[in-house]
Amino acid sequence: MEEPILRVTHLQKYYGVRGNVTRAIDDLSFSVRAGEFVGIMGASGSGKTTLLNCIATIDAVTAGEIFIDGQDITRLPRRALSRFRRERLGFVFQDCNLLDTLTGGENIALALTILRRPAGEIPRQVQETAALLGVSHCLDKYPYQMSGGERQRLAAARAIVTRPALVLADEPTGALDSKSARLLLERFEALNREQNSTILMVTHDAFTASYCRRILFIKDGKPFTELVRGNDSRRAFFTKIIEVVTLLGGDSGDVV
Amino acid sequence: MLCKLALRNVRRSVRDYTLYFLTLFFGVCVFYVFNSLENQWVMRALMENSRNVDYAGAIVRLIDLVSVFVTAVLAFLILYANHFLLRRRKRELGLYLLLGMEQRQVAFLLFLETLVIGLAALAAGLVLGVLLAQVLAAFTASLFQVRVEEFTFLFSWQGVGKTALYFGGIFLLVMLFNSLTVARQRLIRLLESAKKNQELKLRSVRVSVVLFLLSLALLGAAYALLLRRGLLQVDRIFALMLVLGTLGTLFFFRSLSGFLLRLVQRHKRLYLRDLNLFVLRQFSARITTNYLSMTVVCLLLLLAIGITACSVGVNNTVEDNVDRDAPLDMTLRLEDYYCDFTPELFTQALSASGFPPEEHLESYAAVTRYMLSIPLTEPVEVGSQAYVLENILTYAMSLSDYNALLALQGAEPLTLEPGTYGIAWGTEEGDVLRELWAGGAAVTLGAGSYIPAPAAQREGAYCTSGIPLSPMLLLPDGVLETLDRETVVERFLYLAGNYRPQDRDGAEDALWGASDRLSDQLFQVSDSSGFGLLLNTRQDIYMETMGTKLLVLFLGLYLGIIFLVTSAAVLALQQLSQAADNLARYRILARLGADEKMRDRSSDIQVLLAFLLPLSLAVVHATVGMKAANDVIATVGHLDAVASTLTTALFILLVYGAYFLATCRGSRRIIRDL
Repeated sequence: MEEPILRVTHLQKYYGVRGNVTRAIDDLSFSVRAGEFVGIMGASGSGKTTLLNCIATIDAVTAGEIFIDGQDITRLPRRALSRFRRERLGFVFQDCNLLDTLTGGENIALALTILRRPAGEIPRQVQETAALLGVSHCLDKYPYQMSGGERQRLAAARAIVTRPALVLADEPTGALDSKSARLLLERFEALNREQNSTILMVTHDAFTASYCRRILFIKDGKPFTELVRGNDSRRAFFTKIIEVVTLLGGDSGDVV
Repeated sequence: MLCKLALRNVRRSVRDYTLYFLTLFFGVCVFYVFNSLENQWVMRALMENSRNVDYAGAIVRLIDLVSVFVTAVLAFLILYANHFLLRRRKRELGLYLLLGMEQRQVAFLLFLETLVIGLAALAAGLVLGVLLAQVLAAFTASLFQVRVEEFTFLFSWQGVGKTALYFGGIFLLVMLFNSLTVARQRLIRLLESAKKNQELKLRSVRVSVVLFLLSLALLGAAYALLLRRGLLQVDRIFALMLVLGTLGTLFFFRSLSGFLLRLVQRHKRLYLRDLNLFVLRQFSARITTNYLSMTVVCLLLLLAIGITACSVGVNNTVEDNVDRDAPLDMTLRLEDYYCDFTPELFTQALSASGFPPEEHLESYAAVTRYMLSIPLTEPVEVGSQAYVLENILTYAMSLSDYNALLALQGAEPLTLEPGTYGIAWGTEEGDVLRELWAGGAAVTLGAGSYIPAPAAQREGAYCTSGIPLSPMLLLPDGVLETLDRETVVERFLYLAGNYRPQDRDGAEDALWGASDRLSDQLFQVSDSSGFGLLLNTRQDIYMETMGTKLLVLFLGLYLGIIFLVTSAAVLALQQLSQAADNLARYRILARLGADEKMRDRSSDIQVLLAFLLPLSLAVVHATVGMKAANDVIATVGHLDAVASTLTTALFILLVYGAYFLATCRGSRRIIRDL
């Protein structure tokens, strides 16, 4: 069988010192194949952001392995991590996304200049990627001149312009109104379908999650269940998600 | 408990305090060095030996006065640094309040921290200050070509006391400010201060290019005005030049970033490489808030460079003046308004006052200089100005008197053919006589007429004089004595000589003592109704020159260094506070995969730009200014360009460099705190 893009095996992440340990992630294993659009859901405090940070190489794991593209990133030295991050990963976050002193186009280009790509190709790549996400009209605008949705799609463009092996999105719709959120998610879907981008998205919002092809639910750092959309319509999938969320939040009651 | 916390806070944030400490440290050090001047041996020598003017006192009083100004500047600077420090720590202070500490206690905590830092900086600054005072002593000794026999360690309790007092005042001010800040703060503000971000303004790039070209034009015009007209014509056009220069500098910094951006954007290879586009955009976004301070810093640097370079340079120029103005050990001049005295009477009165010349002087001459009003046989045009002179006032001396003065200097005597006259040019520049002499004008005196004897002329001082010596005609013996009172306006009797080598100091003391009593004696030997006395000795002239020199040097160095510290500290603080504002941006860069090396480099480039740009423009300004200043100084001597440039460069390297490195390190540290 084909080696998955992302393979997480027996991942553990503990915080605190001996005698007072918080198990943010406790023995979690899963994998994502190339071209998948996977969501991770869970209540706040369930460890989903910690998981994303571990995969993003921003946080160190306590035990277990994370393979991305066949490489175990938990064993990479610090300097190699930056390199790995800029070459293999793309990020979209809820906030702190764009550099406010740069124009939209420059924000996208920056991801490429950090990679030291030849200057000649950069403008073309920037334009193509911006077109994919429908933000061509924002290239010469500064972030403060754009709407929230435009900013977030621009951030998405920046995340995929480097053709990363894996795009990581952390609550990308968290700060958006529903129309902008829908637009962004449709673009994500299209990217996944047409460009075959592999996307891993963390969210606690059922509507956002319903755009994924497969959803992993985690609870208290452990895998809870998994939903695959298959041939369901999005609406049907959404209903299933809500059911699981209700089940998940049954005893904690803090599902948003 | 609070003491422990304060100490721990200082130790923990020792790097945050670096700049604050550095500024205090330099301030204390410079302040001590210049306020312990009274202790320096040169100053003591000056105090003991200068007879006419109290230069040492003047220097000390001026330094006192300037110190008040310097204290004000430093107080401002330290408050600014403190303000930056507080801003960095608002959250922490908020936490203390949240934990139930009273505002009074937090203020006291800050007070303790300031005290610890202040005492440390005071101690360290004084140690370096005491060391630097020795260096300054050695430096001044070398300037005056004096070998210091034995090394004595200089230490001034007075200087320490004054430094402690003044800086104590500044600390009090800082503490007051701190308490006020804490007392005024609302807890919520303190806790949320990290979230507040600065408003961002972005301006059109095209405007920048136009503005940049305009600034170059303005600066060019100011330079042209300065070079063409020189430094000394202080009038409306001079003011216009200053305005043009300042505006040019302002526009230069205002537009430079935009211009640079435009320029680099054209070169995609440079622009789209590493973090270059980020650095440039960042710089150009900052400049809208920075250009004013950059202008001020640039002008401060210009002052620092100009003052330091000129004071050191002038110093070397004045050096040669002693030899020029004081060829003899002593010269006593009696201005005899009514022609009452003779050289014999003059000598007699001097002996009676306690200074018998033959006893104290190895060789001497008593001579007479006349001031004549000479009618010209033909009107003469002087230079391009069409003055028609019919009568000139000029000095004259008989040849044998002049040769007697020359003999004292060990120079060859001059000779005159009958019917000719010679000229002793003295030390004054430019005179009608030059024109007359060049034109071969004949001079009619009494019965005879005299023409110039080209061989009989000599440049330089003919006796020791604190004021420039005017040119004088040299006439054959026996001519001047016969002139009537119509022609002779007044007479000057000179008694000039050299001391016996074995008792120079005794002779000098005796002479100054005698000069106090001389007036009374002169009234006794004659019934004169008026005369003037002037005593100049080589030592006196030496001290006078040295006094001026020291005054210029000390004031120049003092102000120069303070201006340098001020400008560097302002830049450093500004850069650090911006680094703190940039933290969020660097966090994004890190997530995008820009490694630490890349981020550090981008931060270093920004600091470098901020430090280098004002300095570069200031150096250009200073070079042009020095060129103009050189033309002025050239009239008194020459500016030693190499020495002054080296000294200035050394100071800049030390002070500015220290701040630059501290800022680079501090800035890196702030943005690493991801």
